[in-house]
Amino acid sequence: MSRFYYYLIIINMVANIIASVPAILLHYHNDGAIISMLLSIAAGVLLVTLYTKFFLKYPGKTLPELLEKTTSKWFYLPFVFVLAVLWFVAGLITLITFTFLLIRYLSPEMPIILICLTLILSVIFGCILKTDRVMYTVEMIMIITSPLILFIFLKAYTSNSLNWDFVREAALYINQVPNWHSFSACFFLFLGAANLFIFNRFFTDKQKFGFRQIMFIVLISIGTLFTSYFIPIGFNGFEGINDLVYPWISTTDSIRMDYFIIERVLFMFLLFYLGIAFLSILIHWYAAVEFLKFTFKLEKIKYKDKVIGIFLPLPIFVAISLYFVTVLTEYQLFQYSSYFYDVLVFIFPGMILLFTYINRRMKNEESSPEN
Amino acid sequence: MSSEENIKWINEQFKDTNELTMKTLEDEDKKAELFYIKPLIDVELLQQIVIKPYFEMQSETKYIRYLKALPQFQDSKSPEQLKTEVLNGNVVLFIQNKFYLLDLKFSFNDQTNTASVETTIHGSQLALSDNIATNINIIRSDYHQPTLYVEYSTIGQVNNHKLAIIYDKEKVNKNALNIITEKLQQVDKQVITSTVQLSNYINNKKYSLFPQLIMTERPDRIVYNLAGGKVILLVDGNPQALIAPVYFFDFMTSMEDNYHSFYISFFLKFLRYTGLFISLLLPGLYIGITSFAPEVFRTELALTIAGSRIGVPFSSFVEVLFMLFFMEMLLEASIRLPKTISATATTVGGLILGTAVTEASLASDIMVIIVSAVAISTFVIPINEMAFTIRVIRFFFILAATLLGLAGLTLALYALIMYLVSIDSFGEPYLKFNEKKTSKTKAGEEI
Amino acid sequence: MKSLPRKIKGTILLFVVLGSVLLSGCAFKDIDKSVFVAMIALDVSDDEEKPYKVTLKLYEPTGSFNEATEPQYSYLSENGETLSEAIRMMESYSDKELEFGHSKLIILGEELVKDNKNKEILDFLLRRPDIQMISWIAVGRPNAEEIIKMIPQGESAAYPELFNYFDSNGTTTPYIVTTHLFEFRRNIKESGIDSVLPIIEINQEDQHFEVNKSLLLALNKEPLELDSLDTSIYNMLSRSVKHANLLIKEEGDHFIANIDTVKSKYNVNIKNKSEIQLDINISLYGSVAESHKPMKNKDLPKYNEELKKESEEKFKEFITKMKKNGYDPLGFGIDYKAKVLHNRRMSDEEWMEAYKKAKVNLTVKPGIKSTGSIQ
Repeated sequence: MSRFYYYLIIINMVANIIASVPAILLHYHNDGAIISMLLSIAAGVLLVTLYTKFFLKYPGKTLPELLEKTTSKWFYLPFVFVLAVLWFVAGLITLITFTFLLIRYLSPEMPIILICLTLILSVIFGCILKTDRVMYTVEMIMIITSPLILFIFLKAYTSNSLNWDFVREAALYINQVPNWHSFSACFFLFLGAANLFIFNRFFTDKQKFGFRQIMFIVLISIGTLFTSYFIPIGFNGFEGINDLVYPWISTTDSIRMDYFIIERVLFMFLLFYLGIAFLSILIHWYAAVEFLKFTFKLEKIKYKDKVIGIFLPLPIFVAISLYFVTVLTEYQLFQYSSYFYDVLVFIFPGMILLFTYINRRMKNEESSPEN
Repeated sequence: MSSEENIKWINEQFKDTNELTMKTLEDEDKKAELFYIKPLIDVELLQQIVIKPYFEMQSETKYIRYLKALPQFQDSKSPEQLKTEVLNGNVVLFIQNKFYLLDLKFSFNDQTNTASVETTIHGSQLALSDNIATNINIIRSDYHQPTLYVEYSTIGQVNNHKLAIIYDKEKVNKNALNIITEKLQQVDKQVITSTVQLSNYINNKKYSLFPQLIMTERPDRIVYNLAGGKVILLVDGNPQALIAPVYFFDFMTSMEDNYHSFYISFFLKFLRYTGLFISLLLPGLYIGITSFAPEVFRTELALTIAGSRIGVPFSSFVEVLFMLFFMEMLLEASIRLPKTISATATTVGGLILGTAVTEASLASDIMVIIVSAVAISTFVIPINEMAFTIRVIRFFFILAATLLGLAGLTLALYALIMYLVSIDSFGEPYLKFNEKKTSKTKAGEEI
Repeated sequence: MKSLPRKIKGTILLFVVLGSVLLSGCAFKDIDKSVFVAMIALDVSDDEEKPYKVTLKLYEPTGSFNEATEPQYSYLSENGETLSEAIRMMESYSDKELEFGHSKLIILGEELVKDNKNKEILDFLLRRPDIQMISWIAVGRPNAEEIIKMIPQGESAAYPELFNYFDSNGTTTPYIVTTHLFEFRRNIKESGIDSVLPIIEINQEDQHFEVNKSLLLALNKEPLELDSLDTSIYNMLSRSVKHANLLIKEEGDHFIANIDTVKSKYNVNIKNKSEIQLDINISLYGSVAESHKPMKNKDLPKYNEELKKESEEKFKEFITKMKKNGYDPLGFGIDYKAKVLHNRRMSDEEWMEAYKKAKVNLTVKPGIKSTGSIQ
């Protein structure tokens, strides 16, 4: 399976390690979080497998193209528009979370609009690139930032201050009823495969997706969830974990690099994580712009022979993001992201029905020209 | 055409230059006329192979056959071609109402140079010369493949230089070749004296920041790139060749890598990339740390920086800009210094940029160290074009760090990577990890 | 604007950009306009209405560390009803911005700790994002202000000496307990483990610090002071330190064992629903550092036996002392919680009862390898 496919999945998982997902999980730490995590791994891997197998049948085609062939215009135009909104909101959540993080820990005196604008300006140009260029950017930046992030995780695991007793204590809360919110938060981590709706355009060769690949995804997801949930508990104690607003930030602040020029691991972590967040926002907003391009046929809008239609969604994105950044509080951000994840748990498995429909229609179309 | 008309026509073409020499060779029953431009001709060779045999051979037909057998003989296809060829150092022979061309050009500039811009420790120090024929000679001697194909054309409407497009017909990247030939035909500038000007025009982008073609003077680099399927452009009168299409990583490879064992070249490559990052990011990092987030670094380091900034009247980014401008001016001036003044300049530069500035508290000690580190690491990059580009981009990073702090600097780096990935060099993506690692491609395209 | 030739538009743009750069504002603060806080000292003040007294020690950077012989610091002190109020007032006393990002040591006065205001102090220290969670926290005797105001002999301008006591780069002795802020918070909030803070004292005549005792803090209990021997035993048991010295006085032999490797394992052995046993296994490997009599190499087994007996006695005494009043610095409580499912556990009171009555099963494995350079 092409390595770019794994990048899509990994970015979605890793980018949410320090965002709202662990905060939601740890909020329910003594109320069914563990069992929800296990359930979500099962459900998530199932979803990833089904999505990938579906898209492997149609190499190089995106979901809007498939919909155009098999369903009527009244269905797919509003549907694709809804998808665009969903992807935009996903990127927006990451953007606002990161803006809050930056303003809290890195530069408290900067006006929040300026920080948000910085993030937006660096990503916005990427939304109008071609698909393969976006994937190469993802690869390049992942190669630069991931070794350092892995190093920080390694340092966390081998630190003396990590008390494994707390981890074991947390793990023993396994015999509780699963919790809906924690399930949906973990489930969101697996929705990186949904990026295939647009990025399937890039995978034009036949790929293999068998047992080994599925196992690999299971391993990655277990590792990510384990790190995301248990490491903050090991450093910060089990009972008090609920008080921390950003559990992972407090955790990296508890690691000390004795012999390096940066002592507080927090800053290194924040700046390199900025790269992963950048990629996550880029992927989500790129997909949103592509969906919008499809819905409104933006390539056809021309002014003096220059295609300006593709630039139209960009100022709208900027304006909406700036508005929400100034209006939301942290609590509202967590609440709304929690609701958003809850909604997604219904929508994405529901798409599997849509896929079976498309499969049937495509098979009919293949067999009918033969007649 | 009759002979008088022809002679009149030739004189008509060249009436504005007063150097066209007309020589008449007359013998008992044969007559021939020579037209040439004297400064271009090798006069001795002319006497030896044209004039002497003329008087030694009895019949004109035999002489004409002899002429056609000469290696310097060229086919004359049209009257316009005559004009260009005379300007190229050919001799026009007019015998029995027919024109014959002989290439008797005397070149002064056919000595090969030694590599001065791209030097290595090992390997040949040979560089291309100014003469296109010598260059093709060198290239062909290094690349013994029958598939090596050389296409000639001319460029520049006013000065009509010869242009050669060289590629290996089997291995070449056909897409890029088509784009290049297409773009070359669209170039209609009047005066093109150098390959670099050519590169600016075929790019079609007046404002491109990153070089789209590598300019090199070393034949071994040319040969490696030929084996990798690249297209080489040579212009007469220029010791630099252009290589297209190009990848970002090509700029960071030096021919030195091929003369060392694996671990040493790996270490050298690592050094170069570290140098690249240092020269791009260090001034911006200094601004970000001192002015936006001083708590990022260790306490001891922060105290040292704070201590060394005592008494400096400027804020950090003015200090950085001031020192960097000085360094850039010094670098620029040192290119043009006559050899007699160069020693003075070194002293002046060293004194100004060194101790005096810190003693007068115009800049901090740390700033001097940063500027020297940046200067040295900029020139670790093997290809000079990229070093110039880095020098310009560094200022963008300083701008980003000044306005937006450390987060702005990091995001500017990511945005730059995204920009690099999005530009094309003749149809090939500029920044990309190449997966195909056959032995042939490894030679030409560094990964 | 459209009619202007391109060059003029370009130049105008260039000047606009340059101007915005040179005139930029927003969060740009030069490093010489901010002063770094080195240590924070929290005390009880004499004022009834403003019970907290905050003292800050500020760095004054010097231009060259080679020339500066004595480090320069300045101090700010203020009373306040809350800690944040005191700090806000102090910001108005200094001409530069106070930067807390480099403050690595927080000292609490002894009186303040005894007043049991730990929760408020922790709240303040943790809520601010710019105070490092890896800063060290300690107790100052007699009060924190005196501690941070003292500059000991031999301190260099580069780094305050007090940091080196807790840094693993500096001295490593078994008498110093190192506690980070996040550990302090974690241990205070959890009910299965109690926090230990080092006590810093001043030796006025010799102008140096003495850090060899510690204070054991538990929720809803009086703080218990551990003397030097107890502190070193605690460090050895909790695997925080590798080197220690033990004095053995048995059967006529009087020697000091220099331990250079300590391996300790402790856990809770659950006998039945309300009875537990504490199992502690500790291995001490080392050599003899000093002795009153000559020691023979072939008598090493005998010396090992003596070491075993003496150290078992001493360690057992320490653990029993802890248990008697329900203090749990080693964390047996969380060890228990890590072994039993949460709905089958004893409640906190039941645990405390069982802990106080638990049997202590302590074994020491001695491993003196040699008698040193002489016999």
